[in-house]
Amino acid sequence: MSADELLQKAESLLAGLAKGTARPEPNRLDAVIQSSDLVAAATALRRAGWGYLSALTGVDLGKDANQIEALYHVCEGDAIATLRVTLPRTGGAVPTVQAIYPNALFFERELMEMFGVTVTGLADTSHLFLPDGWPEGTYPLLKDTDVRAAAAKTTGSEPPEMGRQGDRFIVPVGPQHPALKEPGHFEFAVDGELVTGATVRLGYVHRGIERACEHQNYTQNLYLVERVCGICSHSHANAYVNGVEQLAKVPAPPRAQAIRQLVACLERIHSHYLWLGVASHEAGFETLLMYSWRDREIVMDILEQMTGNRVNYSASILGGVKYDVTAAHAAAIRRGMDKIEERTKHYLHVVTADTSFLARAQGIGVTSKEEADALGLLGPTLRAAGVTRDVRVDAPYGSYKQFPVKSIVDSAGDLAARFKVRMLEVLESVRVIRTILDGLPEGDLSVKFPRKIPAGEAISRFEAPRGELFYFIKSNGTDTPERVKIRTPSICNWIYVLTKAVGSQMADVPPLLAGIDPCFSCNDRMIVVNRRGGDRRIWTREDLLRDASTQIRR
Amino acid sequence: MSVQTDTIWGGALEKVKTWARVNSPWAIHYNSGSCNGCDIEIVAVLTPRYDVERFGIKLQGSPRHADVLICTGPVTLQSRDRLKRIYEQMPDPKFVVAVGSCATSGGAFQGCYNVVGHIDEVIPVDAYIPGCPPRPEAIIDGIVKLLTSLQAPVKATTKGESA
Repeated sequence: MSADELLQKAESLLAGLAKGTARPEPNRLDAVIQSSDLVAAATALRRAGWGYLSALTGVDLGKDANQIEALYHVCEGDAIATLRVTLPRTGGAVPTVQAIYPNALFFERELMEMFGVTVTGLADTSHLFLPDGWPEGTYPLLKDTDVRAAAAKTTGSEPPEMGRQGDRFIVPVGPQHPALKEPGHFEFAVDGELVTGATVRLGYVHRGIERACEHQNYTQNLYLVERVCGICSHSHANAYVNGVEQLAKVPAPPRAQAIRQLVACLERIHSHYLWLGVASHEAGFETLLMYSWRDREIVMDILEQMTGNRVNYSASILGGVKYDVTAAHAAAIRRGMDKIEERTKHYLHVVTADTSFLARAQGIGVTSKEEADALGLLGPTLRAAGVTRDVRVDAPYGSYKQFPVKSIVDSAGDLAARFKVRMLEVLESVRVIRTILDGLPEGDLSVKFPRKIPAGEAISRFEAPRGELFYFIKSNGTDTPERVKIRTPSICNWIYVLTKAVGSQMADVPPLLAGIDPCFSCNDRMIVVNRRGGDRRIWTREDLLRDASTQIRR
Repeated sequence: MSVQTDTIWGGALEKVKTWARVNSPWAIHYNSGSCNGCDIEIVAVLTPRYDVERFGIKLQGSPRHADVLICTGPVTLQSRDRLKRIYEQMPDPKFVVAVGSCATSGGAFQGCYNVVGHIDEVIPVDAYIPGCPPRPEAIIDGIVKLLTSLQAPVKATTKGESA
């Protein structure tokens, strides 16, 4: 179905609930919804199988308007329907949509912490996203909040000592942990070896990037968003420039688009190799870690040769790219791809044939297609469960129409399938890189880009190695954005770990965790789930499944 | 720790200790707010291409077994106390290496509301390795420089009394 047909369907589903609709872009529908109708509107979309909740953006309209907007972005294929709920700046309340979209739990927590909106019906409404000692009643994304003063008042940030909690034994993990290179604090309630409850406390890497974006110009922000995550820095930069170019109506030249896609493919390869190493390390397969990281250096060398840096390569700029692909680069890339292809085929064989490896991966953390879709999972985690959802295929951006990508899907839904899907994605990336090099368009690398961006709102979706990356950029006509909202794929996949850890063996938890390829620095701009002390809410599989299935059942 | 260094035996003991320390430093890594860029380069340092184990350096899980704390990223409000706690859990003599621009100066995240600042605003740092992120070679060079400085008289290190 085309975006237009999809949006017409959405419009008819929302008829009677929407107080007004608009089409800001051919593929976008804005529906003004009153907060009392929100649950009905979301239910109508979900019951008809229309899309998944991709992000929830809060926008402060300022002291004069005295309003906050909560934007629920529901995506289906190429189409994006935004449920626009306007709330008063103080004392605003929306009902929770967690029962319809389980991943909304994370988004709604963000809305509460950052904007002071009350989300009614949430089981735990305690202080969540920010440091534990953050002063109450201070909301960092409200424009007039003095965040420096609030930060200065913040004291203490240590979770309490854990151990026994009544008759339950809690195994605390992290934030400093030998197996994870990033800090996150987990508590697993165990009964012998069996995990009976799981909570996660993130926020150790929360820096406040979205607020910082509102105080720098568009060019400066490019370098900041690139540092949301060092692994998928190009994905962040690319999603951001796509959004800003959409607003300015100045597209990058075709050669620049193709080079961006080339770098994105290289990034996917290095990210998947990195993941292969880390995930096999968690499963106790140290040799595979060493081999895969050795071979990852092939891609790192190519990236360094092209851009001069191994990690934050800054390939994209507003209106184009910074670096060209010369004949020498192309030859080096082809040589590297030959090696990568050979090695990837070998690893694909290892992850599908090695018996001791399969014993650790097969049948672990199985999700069905329906469950993966209901939980709102993204990226390889979702595709390994048989759902064909991939922004590069569903809503091709940049040069993806010219150099199409095949979506890799596996139906098994277990840990082994995730290894398989990622390795096949590497092979697919190798194929795409070769076609790009064969058909690289001639022309300029960049165009002149305005400093001031016309007022408007843009949504940019980008398929990062971990799944769909979502940027919402609102411009006010100056050289500084009004709002930049970043929703990273890892945050949508956490819910999977919390669901699947419960009921599995403690020893399977590290590979399960690694299975989604969690990226803390990505999601910690914003998110914390569950708070220390107080009434601790432990997620059980039953809770989540009940939540997920009650209203979705058709 | 007080060791008599005015006797021949004391001097010899000190030499043996320095030799052991320089040839088998155990490191612990903590990310107190990094974007991950430095972290993946630290892992790259441990893997075959760069193979830092040839200097006897081993990444260790527990702070209680570690000699060197490798820090990445600016310090966030939520990580601050944990970073201090990890540092305090390490036995003396201990050394801190700040890896990356953020760890040395706050980098791109300077001024973000949840960022306290760079590492040495929270714990003392012995070696700074700038770069965004530093290349693996630079990380190795920084650690080797730290180890070399240990072979020189103890007061050459910035902290003076700790060794």
